[in-house]
Amino acid sequence: MPKRQQAGVLALYPFEDTFATALRAVMNTQGFTGAVPYTPASYHGLMAVAHDLYGASPVRWLTLVGGLVGCTTGLLMPILMDYDWPLVVGGKTAGLYSLPVVVIFMFEFFILLGAIATILGMLWFGKLANPRAQVLDERLTDDMFGLFVPGLHAGSPQVAQLKQLGATEIRAIKGQ
Amino acid sequence: MSTIVATSDTLPDEVWTKTTRDVNSMVVRGVLAKPHPSFYLALFIAASCALMGGLAWLLQIIYGMGLSGLNSPVYWGVYITNFVFWVGIGHAGTLISAILFLFRAKWRNSINRSAEAMTVFAVLTAGLFPLIHVGRVYLAAYWMAPLPNTNNLWVNFRSPLIWDVVAISTYLTVSLLFWYMGLVPDLAAIRDRTKGLRRFVYGILSFGWTGTLKQWHHYEVGYALLAALATPLVLSVHSIVSWDFAMSIQPGWHTTIFPPYFVAGAILSGCAMVYTLVVPVRKMFGLEELIRAEHLEACLKLTLLTSTIVAYAYAIEFFVAWYSGAFYEWSIFKLRAYGPYSFYFWVMVFCNCLFPLLFWSKRVRRCIPVCMVICVLINVGMWFERYNIIISSLVEDFVPGSWGHYQPSLTEIAITVGSFGWFFMWFLIFVKFFPFISMSELKLIMPGQKSSSHQPAAAGASS
Repeated sequence: MPKRQQAGVLALYPFEDTFATALRAVMNTQGFTGAVPYTPASYHGLMAVAHDLYGASPVRWLTLVGGLVGCTTGLLMPILMDYDWPLVVGGKTAGLYSLPVVVIFMFEFFILLGAIATILGMLWFGKLANPRAQVLDERLTDDMFGLFVPGLHAGSPQVAQLKQLGATEIRAIKGQ
Repeated sequence: MSTIVATSDTLPDEVWTKTTRDVNSMVVRGVLAKPHPSFYLALFIAASCALMGGLAWLLQIIYGMGLSGLNSPVYWGVYITNFVFWVGIGHAGTLISAILFLFRAKWRNSINRSAEAMTVFAVLTAGLFPLIHVGRVYLAAYWMAPLPNTNNLWVNFRSPLIWDVVAISTYLTVSLLFWYMGLVPDLAAIRDRTKGLRRFVYGILSFGWTGTLKQWHHYEVGYALLAALATPLVLSVHSIVSWDFAMSIQPGWHTTIFPPYFVAGAILSGCAMVYTLVVPVRKMFGLEELIRAEHLEACLKLTLLTSTIVAYAYAIEFFVAWYSGAFYEWSIFKLRAYGPYSFYFWVMVFCNCLFPLLFWSKRVRRCIPVCMVICVLINVGMWFERYNIIISSLVEDFVPGSWGHYQPSLTEIAITVGSFGWFFMWFLIFVKFFPFISMSELKLIMPGQKSSSHQPAAAGASS
C-alpha cells in the first residue's frame, strides 16, 4: 500500500544546473530528511547527482540474472526435448551433437528474459505501478524541477536556503 | 521569428526556434486537439485497404489456398515476400532507438518514438504472413508452438524456421517493451495536462509515474541496458530471417553473404519508411519545428550509407556466382538480370542503388518532396528485392522438369495491399492517441533548460 502524502513544501526550479547545485548542497543534510527531487527529463547533470545520492542502480543485477536464466533455458530446452525424442533430420544427430544450433536459442532467450527482468527491475525499484501516485505539481512533468521536503512550512529556515539556491517558487503541500 | 542557437547539448549545426518549454504543449496539443482533415482521410484509406485485405484472407480461409497463386515449384510467393519485407521495415526502429542511443546520436531523439512504433506495427504485420501462408490458420497456433504432437514428437530445432519463430517473437517482445518503457514518462506528462476520464486512462497507462529522481535513475539504467540487449538482437533477427533461405541448397539462396546483406537491406528500407511516415505526420500535427530538417537529413544520410552497402552486396553476389564457377548459381543470376523476371530485378537496382545516390547532394536532401518520392521508391525497390530473391530462385532449380512460373493472384495482391493498410492504420491510430515524439528525450537536445550564468539564481521566490 503506497504511503499517504506527507505535508511539506515543494521548491520549484526552472533550470537544470541550478537544481543540480541545490541538490548537491542540501540532500542528505540536516533538515532535509526524506526530501524527494523531481525532474521532467533525465538530464545528464541530474543523473550524475542521482548516482552520487543513490549509488549504482540494482536493475543491472536483475538484467544479469534474467539473462543467465534465459541462457540456461535456451541451452536446456532444445537438448532435453531432443533427448526426449531424438529427431534425426538429414543425418544430423540430436542433442549435444547439434550444439551450434543450441547457441541460437541460448542467445535469443538470454535477450528475452534479460529484457523482461530489466523492465521488472525498473518497475520494482521505481515503485511502479502506483495507482495512488500524487502529482504535486503538473509542471514537474513539463519544464520545472522540484524538491519536495516533508515536514517543512513556509517559514522554516530551510525554505530560505532553498530560495537562496535558486528556487523561484515555494509551494506548501498539504498532507492527506 | 526568434531563433535559439544550439548549446553543447544540442546538435552542432542546429538553430532551434523552440525551447524545452514548448515541447509538451506542442506535442500534447497533437494528442488532445482535433487533427487536420488529411489525418481522417489517410485513416479512412488505410482502414479500407486493411478491410479489403481481411476479406481476401477470409475468402482464402473459406475456399482454400487455391485462391493464391502458390503452386509447384513456387510455394513461397508474395506472402513470404511480405513477411521478409515487414520484418525488414521493423529493423530501423530498434536501430534508431537502441544503436543510435548507444552511439549518442542526438538527432534520433525527435524521431525515435515514431521509429519504435513503426517497428512494433511492422513486426505485428509481418507476424500475420506465416499465418496467412499456412492456409488453415485455426491449426497454426498448435503447429508453431514448441509442443509435442500426438506421437510425442518435438519440433525440429535444427530447422531455421523454428529459429525464425523464436527470433521474431523475441524481437517483437523486446521492441514492445522498449517502446512502452519510453512512453511511460510522456504518458504521465499527458495525464498531468488532462482532466476527467482522459486523466484516469493516461494515469493507468503511465503506471503512476511522477518523475522522481530515483525513478529516472532506475529508468535510465534500464533503458541503457535494454538498448544494449536490443543492439545484437537487431543484427541477429534479420540474419536469422536470411538463414531461412541461406540454410537451403537452393541456387541463389545458399550464400554466406545473406546475413549482412539482409541486415543492411532491412535498415535501408526501415529508414526510408521512417522518413515516409514522419514527414506527413509532422505536417498533419504541425510539429515541423520539433522534427527539424536537420533530423530528417541525418536519417537520409543513414539511408544513403545502407544503400551503398546494399549495392555492394548485390555486386558481390553476382561476382561470387560468376567467379565460383557454380553453373546453377550463375544461371540463376543471369535469369534474374535477363530472364522473365528481369523487370523486378532492374526495379530493385534502380530504386535501391541508383536513386538513393541523389542523397549525396545536400540540395536534394533539403528538398522534402523529392526525398519523399525517393524514399517511397526505396520501399518499392526493397519489396521487389525480396520478391526477386524468392521467386527467381524457386521457379528454376536443379531439375528442369520441375521448372515453372509464378504470378501472384488477385487474392495475394489484395492481402498485400491490405497489409499496408493494416500497418498505416495502426500507426495513424497511435499518433492520434499517444505522443509520437519522445518529449522527455527531445528536451535533452533542446536549449532552454540551463541557466544563462550556470550559477544559482538570485533568490526571488514567491511563497
